[in-house]
Amino acid sequence: MLELQQLSCGYAAFQAVHELSLTLRPGTITGLLGANGAGKSSTLMCVAGHVARQAGHILFDGQDIGTLPATERVRRGISISPEGRRLFKDLSVEDNLRVGGVIHPARHFVRDRDRVLALFPRLGERLHSLAGNLSGGEQQMLAIGRALMARPRLIMIDELSLGLMPKVIDLCYQALRQLRSEGITVLLVEQNTERALAVADDICVLESGRTVWSGRAEDARNDPSLSAAYLGLH
Amino acid sequence: MLALELVAQGLVQGSIYALIALGLTLVYGLLRILHVAHAALFTLGAYVGVMVYNATGNLPLAFALAMVVAGLAGVATFRLAYQPILSQPPFVALIASIGLYIAAEETFRVVFGASGLSFATPPLQGQVALFGGIQFKTAELMVMLGTALIIAALGWLQTRTRVGVACQATVSDPQMAESFGISLRKVRDINFFVGSALAGFAGVWVALLNNLVEPTMGSVPSYKALAIIVLGGLGSVRGTLAAALVLGVVEAFGTIYLGKLLDRNAIAFAFLILVLMLRPQGLFATR
Repeated sequence: MLELQQLSCGYAAFQAVHELSLTLRPGTITGLLGANGAGKSSTLMCVAGHVARQAGHILFDGQDIGTLPATERVRRGISISPEGRRLFKDLSVEDNLRVGGVIHPARHFVRDRDRVLALFPRLGERLHSLAGNLSGGEQQMLAIGRALMARPRLIMIDELSLGLMPKVIDLCYQALRQLRSEGITVLLVEQNTERALAVADDICVLESGRTVWSGRAEDARNDPSLSAAYLGLH
Repeated sequence: MLALELVAQGLVQGSIYALIALGLTLVYGLLRILHVAHAALFTLGAYVGVMVYNATGNLPLAFALAMVVAGLAGVATFRLAYQPILSQPPFVALIASIGLYIAAEETFRVVFGASGLSFATPPLQGQVALFGGIQFKTAELMVMLGTALIIAALGWLQTRTRVGVACQATVSDPQMAESFGISLRKVRDINFFVGSALAGFAGVWVALLNNLVEPTMGSVPSYKALAIIVLGGLGSVRGTLAAALVLGVVEAFGTIYLGKLLDRNAIAFAFLILVLMLRPQGLFATR
């Protein structure tokens, strides 16, 4: 699966992440936690191929993909639901899904789309609406659905619960569990620590671009000092 | 009656503007470059059309070759002139574009002569009477029909095919489009090809309407097309089409009613300045 070795990345002179090492176990959910500006989103965008790697390695299936363009990484099986969702706002829900699956033959579209609609039935009712007119929850579902259209083996989701109603968050987390049960590996960036701890198998906590804690989620749940110091839990 | 005739004349001219401005809009939407050299492809298409028709007498072939040659020249322009400077601020590309346009004009002058070319026996010059007596040249009717057809076809391609949807997604968020495997290079090539082919198509029509192709025929349409895409609300395809037709009609009326004061182009630019003073975001801006 994905293995980050001493990964440093950032924008030009600014280094957002310092020597991050992280190994994802196949078919699990890994929560990447930490405060605003800790380097979580930069890490995802670096794995996706949009933020420059400054040092270290990004191994996927044992191969270093750190120099591949983004267009090639999605073909290897990595897709992203990015920070801010970044839907194609003036395209319909269906066309957003179409773009998500554009690396696969057109004849597979209906089948792949229906799989996404089975996961998020709400999207089926909005198929011909413009993505920009969806509610926040629907946009999040579409961002995840669009990423799933690429048929990834690793899906990276940034700020799953940000700005959503609790009911919708439940629905999205239910979908994550479903994906995990299908064998898809999930790398989840979350500010909502409680939610992430409840679903994740592994946890990595970043602070100012450095790892301050990583291990099993159950250990994180039982480590009071960690909860108090980094996760804002008491 | 006169009003109807002026509207018809305006729509003919507006169709030409629309064809030229569409390519500019595609390029602006994709790269945020004001592509002044676009008008050189319009002129190139006109030359190719006249030469092919004079050599073969086959008008469809003249159109097809004009579009292909202009389209390929457009892709070459992008790859050689713009691609290497994409990371620079937009005015760098604008300056390059203006330089390229001037160089192209001079090249046409050197290669084909300063006096221009004409059709040996211009086709589609017959007169047709429509709507109870308005006289059209056959070419004028055909340019409206051809523009409507080609724009409908493009609209269909853009919304109903995967390549079209991928192009729209790229305009909306290039980085995300790449994230899903869309090659920016290919999308840019396609857009330059299509936009430039449209300019070449327009060039042949202007050659037919005026029976003259000359090195500087692109300069006024070039500035007008730039103003049209601003009027249409930069980057909006529908706005561009509407603005092109409106400008064509305003020009037609202005030439009759203000013709003693101002010439045709002065009227067009006065109108553009006026609109931009009142609505700087463009006539049809959506955002």
